[in-house]
Amino acid sequence: MKGYRKYFRKKIIWFLITFAAALLVNFLLPRLMPGDPVSAIVGKQAQGVTSATAIQDMYNTYAKEFGTDQPVWKQFFTYVINLCKGDMGTSFGQYPRKVADIIGSAIWWTICLQFPAIIVGWLLGNILGALAAYIRKGFDKVLMPVSLFFSSIPAFGMAVILLVVFAVNLQIAPVSGGYGFDMIPNLSWKFIVSVIQHYQLPFWSIVLIAIGGQAIGMRSMSIYELNADYVKYARFLGIKDRKIVRYVFRNAMLPQVTGLALSIGTMVGGALVAEIIFSYPGLGTTIYDAVTTSDYPLISGSTLIITVMVLIAMFILDIVYGFIDPRVKAAQFD
Amino acid sequence: MRKTRKLLSLLLALTVACSLAIVSASAETVELPRNETLYFAGQQWGTVVGWNPLSDDMNNAMAIVQSSGGSRTLMFETLYMYNMLDGSLTPLLADGDYVWNDDQTEVTVKIKAAAKWSDGTAITAEDVAYTFDTNVAIANNKGNTYSPYIDSVTAVDESTVLIKLKLNEDGTAVNPLMLPCYLCDCYVLQKAWIQTVEARCNNDATEIKKDTGDDVVWSGPYTKYYTDDQKVVLIRDDSYWGQDESMWGSLPVPKYIAHVIYADNAAGQTALKAGEVDVCQEFISNVQDLWEKDGLPISTYLDDAPYGVCVNMPTAYYNMEIPALQNVAVRKAIAMAVDYDAINQNAMTGQSPTFTDVPRSCMNPTDGEQSTFDHEAVADLQWAGNDIDGAIALLDEAGIVDTDGDGIRELNGENISLNACCPNGWTDWMAAMEIVAAAGQKIGIDITTEFPEWSVYQTVFTAASQTEYDIFMYATESSTPAQPWSRIRQLMSSEFIGMEGNWSGNFGHYSNADADEIIAKIPSTTDEAELKELYTEAVEIYLTEVPSFSLMYRPNVFYAVNESVWTNYPSQDDGRNIPPTDCTDGYGIAGLYGLELVNP
Repeated sequence: MKGYRKYFRKKIIWFLITFAAALLVNFLLPRLMPGDPVSAIVGKQAQGVTSATAIQDMYNTYAKEFGTDQPVWKQFFTYVINLCKGDMGTSFGQYPRKVADIIGSAIWWTICLQFPAIIVGWLLGNILGALAAYIRKGFDKVLMPVSLFFSSIPAFGMAVILLVVFAVNLQIAPVSGGYGFDMIPNLSWKFIVSVIQHYQLPFWSIVLIAIGGQAIGMRSMSIYELNADYVKYARFLGIKDRKIVRYVFRNAMLPQVTGLALSIGTMVGGALVAEIIFSYPGLGTTIYDAVTTSDYPLISGSTLIITVMVLIAMFILDIVYGFIDPRVKAAQFD
Repeated sequence: MRKTRKLLSLLLALTVACSLAIVSASAETVELPRNETLYFAGQQWGTVVGWNPLSDDMNNAMAIVQSSGGSRTLMFETLYMYNMLDGSLTPLLADGDYVWNDDQTEVTVKIKAAAKWSDGTAITAEDVAYTFDTNVAIANNKGNTYSPYIDSVTAVDESTVLIKLKLNEDGTAVNPLMLPCYLCDCYVLQKAWIQTVEARCNNDATEIKKDTGDDVVWSGPYTKYYTDDQKVVLIRDDSYWGQDESMWGSLPVPKYIAHVIYADNAAGQTALKAGEVDVCQEFISNVQDLWEKDGLPISTYLDDAPYGVCVNMPTAYYNMEIPALQNVAVRKAIAMAVDYDAINQNAMTGQSPTFTDVPRSCMNPTDGEQSTFDHEAVADLQWAGNDIDGAIALLDEAGIVDTDGDGIRELNGENISLNACCPNGWTDWMAAMEIVAAAGQKIGIDITTEFPEWSVYQTVFTAASQTEYDIFMYATESSTPAQPWSRIRQLMSSEFIGMEGNWSGNFGHYSNADADEIIAKIPSTTDEAELKELYTEAVEIYLTEVPSFSLMYRPNVFYAVNESVWTNYPSQDDGRNIPPTDCTDGYGIAGLYGLELVNP
């Protein structure tokens, strides 16, 4: 128990240091991009205005509002103080919307799309990969090239193929959006069915690619483990295959679990390609728009959420590892 | 273990039952009836922020667009509606034509007796005056745009507005051309509502502009119904005052106006083809393929190319701070060598009149603007493009030759090496810039293309001084009551030189005293012959000096309609004189009153 406490204390300290460093980088990097976002906002509003003084006044008002007239170090401290109060600031690109509101409305779409897609892709991929390694023969000969084929299709390619085939040509799936173009969100069966229908293509565009990658990884790991000395020894001792397979896959799973944790941690970054091609709402397009408009507060806010999610995922992973593999636990307590 | 399973099953069953109960209890209309809804694409990008027309930041394209080329009057209304087809102003809130005084310094506008706010109160002259005063006081776009030209807007009585223009020292109006712009540009807002906003914002201008105006009072035929990250829907106000015989005599046909927020043009066009969009304000490459090859019930304002009314002239500006571009022979040679037909075919897929059809000037291709100058007087100065021999001869004659044999001509001992820029992702403009670069290579001028992101591009080309972009693109003004004067000013006026954050014009910082003089004279000139002479002189200077050159003609708003649900959209020669402004802008809104269902 004492070992656990010491281990977690150490881990938490490291995560806090990482968080502080990430906070600084999240704040600084967007501000190093070329271009002046305040000028972009003023530009939108200065169309038709011919008075240089009026334009300058507009510029000064916005610079003051966003604090960009202050030195960067001062802006950083203001940012951190506001963050402590739960205020991520006001978006430049969608002024005067609050960053928290923008992220809040987009993040649920992203989580609902990404989380099940990652889990389903991971589960199916690993089961298929393990089966291929275990059964071999015809199953492996089919699965391996199919997995390679799917995993090598770029995300945008898969999304476009699904869109053209199922939405445009066969017309059995909607072309875009998170729900019917003719619907108003409401808690009704019709709306829920519409949401599910619109969910299909973006979901499968992510899952199909994920399955291929996971299956290939799991297959290789399983083949390696199946040929390990302890398996041969166990067989020699006459232990039943079913029991051996359990040990084998538990060991083969380790790198896959790391991949899963990272995928879940970074999922809030959004599925940009699926979001753009299917006009599906989510954080991916929010971040993309923020980058193209130099929307510092929104970029910093979004990347902060991603940072926190990754750190949490890694923290949980550290704990889960201990349970999955006693060797890891032993090493951690050393 | 069995107990736990039982408990879990019970919980699951309870959850399902509860959600079923909630769902059935709240079942109400969740679908917009297709035959009562007109769907748009290409207007709204990103989430709506609010409904406050005093703000410039609401990102609410369906409800709040104020433009002298035709404001969007679905929810808020202007005094007049501009028609770009003939330059006319049709009264909306105003009653009859506006009346100038003899000195052309004051204008009187009457308000329609039938005009009402959504709360049932009458729209008064006091509302018009208070809106103007507030715009100026909080220094929003409309206040800043018109305060240099309009001195005051006052209520003479309940229904009479007196607008006094700002005067020069000699007692003449600074710019009478800006008056009709104001009349069809600025919304009239309710004084009582503005005062409510002022009170809750403690009269703080920044706070007033940040207010989302959820309680706004409107006068137009539609109002807010629903908005989220994915769509915005307006619903018809069936008590709209405009159904009075003194205005439209009926309500607009669609009950709902809906705009799904698409991620990009491609998504909007896919929806148009699928019949999920009725009116599409997007550039569609080879738009004719939609009906010729795909057999879709899609049409445009004109049956044949260029399919739309082109009123804008995307232009390549020369940066006068670059020494090589201070030489007029270099400027003209590049402009002569560019293959404009290739730009029309590649970038616009034929959706622009050619420069042979409409020879270049400062005027757009509409009959109204083309009639403002003497075509014969400038014929020798015009060029249709792809004139490589002519451009080479011009450069040779000017002594700009390649002396070191590297294939690039030199000026003052230095190779003429330039960049041609436009924002990344603006594909039609990028294609045009590639053709400009290719033209340079053909005449011995090294031109390379650069496509920075818009966020960077807009900061650079609007700077008071810059040497990063040599040849760069931006649109011109489209049709407004102040054209073609305002476009000539935008192309050549030196008043914009040295202005930080210059979005007004002359982005290349060209200076010409004669052009400035003409630009100053035109607004106060009323004699038709003299006016024509001034416009002709301006075109002569522009074509001789070539401070910039237009690359194509282009509509201000694109307009393709799917007639699978609605039909009888405005089109050329339908006898209604409704402009192709998407049934929303300026007099284009008249299109909403004539729509018919394909299957009633």
